[in-house]
Amino acid sequence: MSNYFNTLPLREKLNQLGVCDFMESSEFLDGVNALKGKKLVIVGCGAQGLNQGLNLRDSGLDVAYTLRKEAIEGKRDSWKNATENNFTVGTYEELIPSADIVINLTPDKQHTAVVNAIMPLMKQGATLLYSHGFNIVEEGMQVRKDITVIMVAPKCPGSEVRAEYVRGFGVPTLIAVHPENDPEGKGLAQAKAYCVGTGGHRAGVLRSSFVAEVKSDLMGEQTILCGLLQTGSILSFDKMVEKGIDAGYASKLVQYGVEVITEALKQGGITAMMDRLSNVAKIRAFEVSEELKDIMRPLFQKHQDDIMSGEFSRIMMEDWAAGDKNLLAWRAETGETAFEKTPAGDVKIGEQEYFDNYTLMVAFVRAGVELAFETMVQAGIKPESAYYESLHETPLIANTIARKKLFEMNRVISDTAEYGCYLFDQACKPLLADFMSKVDTDLVGKNFNEGKDGAVDNRNLIAVNDAVRSHQVEQIGAELRKAMTAMKAIKTA
Amino acid sequence: MSQPVVHITNLNLRYRQNTVLQGLDWAIQRGENWLVCGKSGSGKTSVAKAIAGQISYSGNIKINFDTSCALPAAAHYVANWYQFKDLEGQSNFYYQQRYNKQSTETTASVRAELENYARKHQLHLSEVVAILDALDFTELLDATLIQLSSGEHKKLQLTKAIWLKPQLLILDQPYNGLDARSRQNLNILLEEVCSHGTQLILISNEQEIPASIHRYAEIRDGRLHEIAAGQRFSGLQQQVTRPVPEFLSNPTVFSSFQIIKMIDVNISYGEKHVLKNINWEVNAGEKWLLQGPNGSGKSTLLSLITGDHPQAYANNFYLFGNKRGSGESIWEIKQRIGLISPELHWYFDPSATVWQSIASGFYDSSGLFCDPGYTKRKQTDELVHYFGLEEYKNVLMSELPLGHQRLALLARTIIKNPELLILDEPCQGLDQQQTKHFNQLVDELCENGTTLIYVGHFESQLPACIEKRIVLKNGEVKSVETLLENA
Repeated sequence: MSNYFNTLPLREKLNQLGVCDFMESSEFLDGVNALKGKKLVIVGCGAQGLNQGLNLRDSGLDVAYTLRKEAIEGKRDSWKNATENNFTVGTYEELIPSADIVINLTPDKQHTAVVNAIMPLMKQGATLLYSHGFNIVEEGMQVRKDITVIMVAPKCPGSEVRAEYVRGFGVPTLIAVHPENDPEGKGLAQAKAYCVGTGGHRAGVLRSSFVAEVKSDLMGEQTILCGLLQTGSILSFDKMVEKGIDAGYASKLVQYGVEVITEALKQGGITAMMDRLSNVAKIRAFEVSEELKDIMRPLFQKHQDDIMSGEFSRIMMEDWAAGDKNLLAWRAETGETAFEKTPAGDVKIGEQEYFDNYTLMVAFVRAGVELAFETMVQAGIKPESAYYESLHETPLIANTIARKKLFEMNRVISDTAEYGCYLFDQACKPLLADFMSKVDTDLVGKNFNEGKDGAVDNRNLIAVNDAVRSHQVEQIGAELRKAMTAMKAIKTA
Repeated sequence: MSQPVVHITNLNLRYRQNTVLQGLDWAIQRGENWLVCGKSGSGKTSVAKAIAGQISYSGNIKINFDTSCALPAAAHYVANWYQFKDLEGQSNFYYQQRYNKQSTETTASVRAELENYARKHQLHLSEVVAILDALDFTELLDATLIQLSSGEHKKLQLTKAIWLKPQLLILDQPYNGLDARSRQNLNILLEEVCSHGTQLILISNEQEIPASIHRYAEIRDGRLHEIAAGQRFSGLQQQVTRPVPEFLSNPTVFSSFQIIKMIDVNISYGEKHVLKNINWEVNAGEKWLLQGPNGSGKSTLLSLITGDHPQAYANNFYLFGNKRGSGESIWEIKQRIGLISPELHWYFDPSATVWQSIASGFYDSSGLFCDPGYTKRKQTDELVHYFGLEEYKNVLMSELPLGHQRLALLARTIIKNPELLILDEPCQGLDQQQTKHFNQLVDELCENGTTLIYVGHFESQLPACIEKRIVLKNGEVKSVETLLENA
């Protein structure tokens, strides 16, 4: 197998990277009909598998789970998840041959083995559904020509997929059809029906391609989503402790601050996040984030270049082959940082205080979101795709940090995201050393407005507001968020 | 005479542009136990929260604890709303989550929760045993918090408060969701804590209260008015009877003669059987009362009918003439049902406005996600008017007192003029007059042929149209009987 993207001529590369269509709700009027009466068999029953299955069944579809023999015999968690919710569970041999749609919701790393095991058992003309395109695009998996290959990727954790469905809504979803595997032309209709089955059609569906999904997803998770949030959190905590701020307070500010700050981002983009600051603080946060953008731009570009060339997946797969040597070492290191080891103090931090005392994180988030977005768009990814993989997902990852800090964040995200996150973090920290040496507690740990009279220069403020509001990520974001207005607020600490 | 335990002078409290409390004075002397009543929205909860120091106010509240007393010097407030957290300290739960099994537990067990509480307040676990027994709660020690029903959460909340034995205990509508036996036992427990020196402020409009109460007050027009024991709150002053909107007067259209048919329905979690061999048939137009003590399986039984229980797919039963699990979606089922339950209320989107909440009944969603169009907008307006909610229609649910939230959700329940009404303790949080008024509305709707399943723990507060009764006990059908012979 070789990297699929690299086998394409430039014209086709650009063509597939450019698939990006925010779908109208009228495109879903056929409901679940394209899947009605068909046998849906889900491989794997973790959080995504179980919750998608519950939704599909409640939408009137026929859902069963297939697990490896050892998982069934050992009555593992996946087996319990499926049987205790009254789903049929069977081995690959028992369920795959009669399946019309096989849904692969196993971790990336297992895809090659899983697909090689199920493909010979799949019936003629069946459909294989992925929720991430790594296996097809980066590993170059060749799927039998009679099989239709589609992707449906809800852009939220599994529990949210369920929670939003039962309240009569859904989560934003990305769908794609692999152009090499759509022999009957039914791929798109089935992907749309699947979206209706999980409720995604109510919250905005973006039609993408396997290529665009992979190249943007990898970039987002490595840079702004996981990488920069990790780097920014650790540097902020260390700075506060160095300057004599109480460690318990610092730990709480960092753990929950990023969630509170990005909640404003989720509701109203970078504009809303910046507007939570006083005028003086906003101007300062703007200046700091401009500086951060200049420092980090080359690193963001390197990550995007390595993702496009396939270099990133090559070295990561080398690490897979080496038994995850680097991944495990970096993971252990993350578990040992001072931030991770200092429990959040028993202090009350008000919602506004998280903005006022953590202006540095506002600057990090603005710099990271804009840089990731800009770099993706420059590389040929469409703005809508870039928005989903940068701004949209940031609050979701921030929520995992609020739950149990960075170690937990890295446990929850995929191994692929985790590997990329560490790569970024390792390179970014030294890059920011000079910058951080100049940072003081007015930016992190204490109220930025303290001792200032709040006066600003009008023209300066107008220029800052203009720069923030007119950025392309804000314009595209306003459009896409219209479809998600009802997304519920994540409850903050 | 010693100083009052609680001395309130000139308490003023505004909520948005409305004045809630205005110049309220109140002195609670040592040894006194008070009942406070008043209509929904009169400010009962506000006074309680002000005493407990949970909201800001203007005026003076002085609390003089007895420093020689062994009981904790605390004013402990038990809210009319319960809360719980998962193991990570978050409370991001969703409707129906308790029926979905996940291999890893996300919430603590009741036992672990009580152990934590004991550590935090230096209490002895041996002292909680009697309270748990009195509230029929002992069997639930190994249940996890997410699995508890609303009545069971209420019991846990009360257990903790009684166990703590603070010098001042403020209970806000503690009887909500409790069955008759638990209400009696709660009163006995309260009499006992009072006899040991705890002073009680009970906020309730109920008739059966602990014998320890000997002073009574009503909150009216922002002030506290002491009343005689016999002269209890009636709430008669406020109701204007309006005609039921025309769109709700249309005869109900049924899609099948048989609404529900259950054949040996069983629900179990591991070894625990929640429903055992349930056989039940409900025909179109019948009016049923569903009864049983807390934990007897009522909510679980209803969750099967409303499409909220995943084990529905492993059971043999028919809804609206179709076998459950034969390709229908839960939204097709919900479209025919108007549902209100304590859980629906608890999990309802707090960031929706009253108007949006009512309109969301057309789509069975929690919160409104689309423009309902002219006709539905107009019908929503009519119901807003009918329920007297104009003043609040653009206010967020989370900013309203419980009683007003409940009225909005009742409007949401009937807005579709559905084939089947499932009213699971619909009048929680309402005063007697509002309850009577709503039950009259239910009677009127039922005259048009609507099928009804009603759950109510207060025998005196039921609609007149009830004609059949099914009683559950320990997950089994204990009895089925006809109360009224109708045509």
